Amino acid sequence: MKGGVLSAPGDYIYFKSQVPLHKIPIGSKQWRYYDFGPKVVPPLICLPGIAGTADVYYKQIMSLSMKGYRVISVDIPRAWNNHEWIQAFEKFLDTIDVHHIHLYGTALGGFLAQLFAQHRPRRVRSLVLSNTFVETTSFSASMPWAPIVGWAPAFILKRHVLSGIRDSPQEPFIADSVDFVVSQVETLSREDLASRLTLTADAASVGPLLLPDSSITLMDTNDYCATPQSLKDQVCERYPGARRAYLKSGGDFPFLSRPDEVNLHLQLHLRRVGVEARPDLIPGAPKDGSGGSSNEPNNGRKDADDSSENDKRDSETPPPAESAEPPLAPEATGSHDLDNQLLKMAKLSDDIGESVSPPLENSFFRDKQNLLVSRALLNVTCEFFILNMLPLYLGNCTFTGKVAVM
Amino acid sequence: MASRRRMLLKVIILGDSGVGKTSLMNQYVNRKFSNQYKATIGADFLTKEVQFEDRLYTLQIWDTAGQERFQSLGVAFYRGADCCVLVYDVNVMKSFENLNNWREEFLIQASPSDPENFPFVVLGNKIDVDGGNSRVVSEKKAKAWCASKGIPYFETSAKEGFNVDAAFQCIAKNALKNEPEEEIYLPDTIDVAGGNQPRSTGCEC
Repeated sequence: MKGGVLSAPGDYIYFKSQVPLHKIPIGSKQWRYYDFGPKVVPPLICLPGIAGTADVYYKQIMSLSMKGYRVISVDIPRAWNNHEWIQAFEKFLDTIDVHHIHLYGTALGGFLAQLFAQHRPRRVRSLVLSNTFVETTSFSASMPWAPIVGWAPAFILKRHVLSGIRDSPQEPFIADSVDFVVSQVETLSREDLASRLTLTADAASVGPLLLPDSSITLMDTNDYCATPQSLKDQVCERYPGARRAYLKSGGDFPFLSRPDEVNLHLQLHLRRVGVEARPDLIPGAPKDGSGGSSNEPNNGRKDADDSSENDKRDSETPPPAESAEPPLAPEATGSHDLDNQLLKMAKLSDDIGESVSPPLENSFFRDKQNLLVSRALLNVTCEFFILNMLPLYLGNCTFTGKVAVM
Repeated sequence: MASRRRMLLKVIILGDSGVGKTSLMNQYVNRKFSNQYKATIGADFLTKEVQFEDRLYTLQIWDTAGQERFQSLGVAFYRGADCCVLVYDVNVMKSFENLNNWREEFLIQASPSDPENFPFVVLGNKIDVDGGNSRVVSEKKAKAWCASKGIPYFETSAKEGFNVDAAFQCIAKNALKNEPEEEIYLPDTIDVAGGNQPRSTGCEC
């Protein structure tokens, strides 16, 4: 359950060594994001749910960028209402000089993606929505303490954020995905959590989109997720012509538990809405015929190539082995390679131990520490105060809640 | 709570290139046929809602590129398949002879828990071509091969829509038989115990 680099999955350590994390202030908002893949390709921007960070999409960033797609993944910034979110996101896009985007949003991220598509129709070219909703009234109803969320202590917020996730025994891949997300939630500050809960509870709904249904893919998991089925059904009813790329299983975080299937669906979606991958632009890619070879079968050579090259490599370039592959056939290779990478990286991390955490990571944690120290005092006093006051308030809420139910 | 959830049935169509896999899928889902041949790149899928015994199911039909080497499609594509449709062209002997290769490749790649009983359906397509005069695989021969493997057989014309619905109804029915009861949670991707999972016996048609 504990987060941090040490217990992180091997392919995540590899990801951190390959893909730089960006942190920039834009206006009053701090943006934390990854941006990887050829800059000429219109990006797929991943928006996480309430319990996610930009990091939860690392498997998509790794796999799709190697196939020549540009993937951006962001932390939801600290916005306290929908309009603030829309304006902040627009400024972010302006700053990183991106105009037309494709959005992949899960849960709260899917809701925010739809809002942005509604209010900035010219920028959003397509949507992939996963386990999401079109209105938040049911959340605001179940969170009567929303008005004081800004003052609630972090542990209560964390508990609430993680409350919908099933904690019964799970199949290992799903269990691992939950562990990873929980470790990410541990890195979030009280303000981050409070703003997201406020966004979720900010009773609002998505209006009609200009985007045709044919540019929307719905990627719900069919087994279990925290988003109630009735809300997911509303999304289906809203976009009757959308493509239904359902997954049989995967739980709340299929991008972590079923990465090969999710990546396949994302690729099919991008192809359908006309985004062309540029595998030829991947640094370190072999130049021979990488553009034209898309119809040739690649007969299993990738495994051999990949492992031999990758073992030598340390950190400079993404592995070129996959990049030579046809843009659309390699659904499998992604998964194979990912598996291989997992194995290899597990080996690698054994070898290097903890000494090789990437430089970015270090500075990130140092910054964090400084911040934490100064914030700690404030938090302690604040939380002490609130802990004393909260029972009173909550008592009131449950009381009024009960009255309402009756 | 989960009562309104629709069960998802995953169907995979395999066969040589040009036998009409995409056309069959399009005819069944969209009731459309195009004479223009366009090779499928990699893979693609369509979904269709079907009703069966008062319950709604989502049929997810995966179409593959016939000329692609199998290995390049991979596990994501085969994961959780409930039924595999093998298609050949009644006017091309080779496409019939390859059926067994496709079948074996599928079993290797998808590695279903009970390969002996995994539901397949064979479709002999393009029976409309040339009024049946250019046909080289006889119905008798195809039926005999399918009977030896316990596989249901249909002769279809994607162009004229002949027998397509009937074939897909059987496909959906067999896929349904393969799907375990949804209340029991059976991981379909990994075999933790290493043993056989209890499953309803597959198609015996």
